[in-house]
Amino acid sequence: MSFFKKKPPATKVQDWQSMFAEWAEEAPEGPLKRYYQAGMISPNTKLEDTPLLALDLETTGLDSSKDEIISLGLIPLSSKTIRCKGAQYWMAKPENLLHAESVTIHEITDAELEQAPPLEAILDEILIALTKQVVVVHCVSIERQFLLEAAMKIYGYPLYFPVLDTMGIEYQAIHKPWWQRFGKQPSLRLDACRQRYRLPRYKAHHALTDALSSAELLQAQIAYHLDPAADISDYWV
Amino acid sequence: MDVELTEIHEILCQHAPFNEIADDPQLHDMVRDIEIQYLREHEDIIAPGSLNQTLFFIRSGAIEVLSKEGKLIRRMNEGELFGYASLLRGGKSSQSMRTMEDSLLYRIPARWFLKLYEENDNFSDFFELERDVRLRVAMDSQNSDISLMTCPVVSLLRRRPISIQMDSDIRMAAQSMSEHRVSSLLITDNDELIGILTDRDLRTRAVAQGLDYDTPVSAIMTRDPIVMDSHDYASEAVLKMMERNVHHIPIMKNGRPIGVVSTGDIVQKESHGSIYLISDIFKQNSIESLRAISQKMTHTFTQLVVADANTQMIGNAMSHIGTAFVKRLLQLAEEKFGPAPVPYCFIALGSQAREEQTISTDQDNALILSDKYNEEIHGEYFEALSQWVCQNLDQCGYTLCTGDIMASNTRWRQPLSVWKENFSDWIQKPKAEALLRLSIFFDLRGIYGDKTLAKRLNQHIRKEAKEHSGFLTFMARNANQRKPPLGFFRQFVLDGEGKQSRTFNLKERGIAPIIDIVRVHALACGSDKLNTLERIEDIEAAGLLPDGRAKDLALALEMIGMVRIKNQKDQIEAGEQPNNHVNPENLSSFEKRHLRDAFNIVTRQQEFIKFRYAGKRS
Repeated sequence: MSFFKKKPPATKVQDWQSMFAEWAEEAPEGPLKRYYQAGMISPNTKLEDTPLLALDLETTGLDSSKDEIISLGLIPLSSKTIRCKGAQYWMAKPENLLHAESVTIHEITDAELEQAPPLEAILDEILIALTKQVVVVHCVSIERQFLLEAAMKIYGYPLYFPVLDTMGIEYQAIHKPWWQRFGKQPSLRLDACRQRYRLPRYKAHHALTDALSSAELLQAQIAYHLDPAADISDYWV
Repeated sequence: MDVELTEIHEILCQHAPFNEIADDPQLHDMVRDIEIQYLREHEDIIAPGSLNQTLFFIRSGAIEVLSKEGKLIRRMNEGELFGYASLLRGGKSSQSMRTMEDSLLYRIPARWFLKLYEENDNFSDFFELERDVRLRVAMDSQNSDISLMTCPVVSLLRRRPISIQMDSDIRMAAQSMSEHRVSSLLITDNDELIGILTDRDLRTRAVAQGLDYDTPVSAIMTRDPIVMDSHDYASEAVLKMMERNVHHIPIMKNGRPIGVVSTGDIVQKESHGSIYLISDIFKQNSIESLRAISQKMTHTFTQLVVADANTQMIGNAMSHIGTAFVKRLLQLAEEKFGPAPVPYCFIALGSQAREEQTISTDQDNALILSDKYNEEIHGEYFEALSQWVCQNLDQCGYTLCTGDIMASNTRWRQPLSVWKENFSDWIQKPKAEALLRLSIFFDLRGIYGDKTLAKRLNQHIRKEAKEHSGFLTFMARNANQRKPPLGFFRQFVLDGEGKQSRTFNLKERGIAPIIDIVRVHALACGSDKLNTLERIEDIEAAGLLPDGRAKDLALALEMIGMVRIKNQKDQIEAGEQPNNHVNPENLSSFEKRHLRDAFNIVTRQQEFIKFRYAGKRS
């Protein structure tokens, strides 16, 4: 018998559907209220029936309180396939000038961003795309935090959405406690995760390509580690 | 607002057939309709008999195609497409596809495939239902040029032959020729071709001699003219004209003349390097001038490749050039050392005998002496003659054979009876290792001197080989020594060393194995042919191989041979010494795909002969 007891099953199911209903009441009139009013799928929807939307943001930096979103890519998928049709991409003009260093990372130039609308002008559209979708990202905290702050600023109310975090899934799938592993913990970077499933290498740091990257990673993770017939509430965060 | 995934568009356009239509704006729309699917290894993608609505592109991973019975048909990897065969047939799949590795697949809807297939020839040409059809198309497109080296001789014919009865007089002949504006007449007796009369004959044999106009044509015609078959290539006609110094050759079909090819027709068609090279060779009187000509050979070779000649044609031309050097050198040697005291035959071995020489080849030859040969009396003469010829062949670019299989080696300069004993010994008491070195002797062609000596020896070999099946077992085993460079099908296995570490040897691993396989079958069916393609015809006629497999071998040989020749041409143009090493990175995806198919055929046929000639185990 093991010294360590198995973790007891989660007593409280994460129920995004009822939380959406609450926020729909509270949220000020406008696009965000309509987003919450459209509702969310029930927590006992099967993973294989869940509408998924892979999302990636490029930002001027990593601090959501100072830095801004400059581009956002979306790709729809299901547990089995990724659909190129429906892929969407926006650029947003930041209020502050770009930091030179992030320009080199994103390959988006000042000139391109000059042409782009500010985030306020496109966030409505993005909300429509996100409606009733479970979002797929690699590393939930960054994307969620940036979009939450943006919504606070623009609508005066936070934007929340359920997420399948490919980084979190990978952690659970490969993480071994120290007494079971040799040496360093395997990397959880997107590219490193993809290589574990023999997925091809992409040029990183384009919001649409990175969204595609995490969509493909999720397909691989589902094939290896997740149960498509299980409730989405087992996986979403 | 849908946006395009440039990542996917870029990848597709790096691979055939999309690279052919990369400019087509429709591709962007197609990319938007793609779906992406990840599958773990050993998962079914298409089940046999199921309805398929998708063209699959392998973005990463590998796929195997299985027959209904579950037999492996082929394996495919990154950048390749599958599913199109069933789409072209209306959706029903006869094969099953499954992943061999974790794979990422792009699913392209059937309607896009069918649309592009219908609208774009470059795109549709790529897809063929069967592997061998694909190979054939690859070659046909290489032969699309109607150059002299690739067109059949009949394509040069412009009119029906003009003929006249043999009892006509020469005035009537001359009138007929002027009337029809031809430079030659066929002379017939009851529709049977018995001779040819040319402008030159009228000049030199009639007018210059002051013959009466009523002299019958039969008195000045050339009897039993050299003829060719309608299936022969134009280039062969040219070679024959040069060799035999004639300007008109009647072309026969089913025993009847269907036309005449003249030098004029040829010149009009094309003036070609290799042909003039051969006639030049016979005009040279010194080693220096022969050597000067030999330096033009690389140029002739590249010209042939550029002119889209196939490997058979190039092999033929290069072998004729090689043979011309040998003949001219022997003529010069006989001038130098005097006429031969007893009959002899200079024989070519290996590629030259098979008429499959390419550029950069070493010499493999031997001498068959008449049984009247007496070492004490004649030994010195033939020693001097063959030393001189082999050394000078080396001067002309045919380097000395490293295995010393040359006429200059006394061991390979023997009377016919000794040769027969040697072969009987090799065939009746085969030793695997010795045979490996000796296989070259089983491709043997007399090229100068008394060719009946070579003919009699060849007959002896056929007879012995057919009667001793144990010998074929050894030959079949030897034909399995050199394997195609495919490592579990995923990629080409590289086998070079040092500078060539990123390459594999096409001759050793592709061409030689096919030649070996074909030789075993040819010996088994008693074929007297030497050329590999001609042997394949005999093998097919003898029914030694299942239907279509003989043709497979010919296609594989052409495919690999073509890549080798193109590679050699590129090496020459880059100022390098041409060799047989190919770096797969320099191949187009088209070539790679066809090479894989060809190597596939070689592997299967190697397996086949192993069992076909397994013999009895004791």
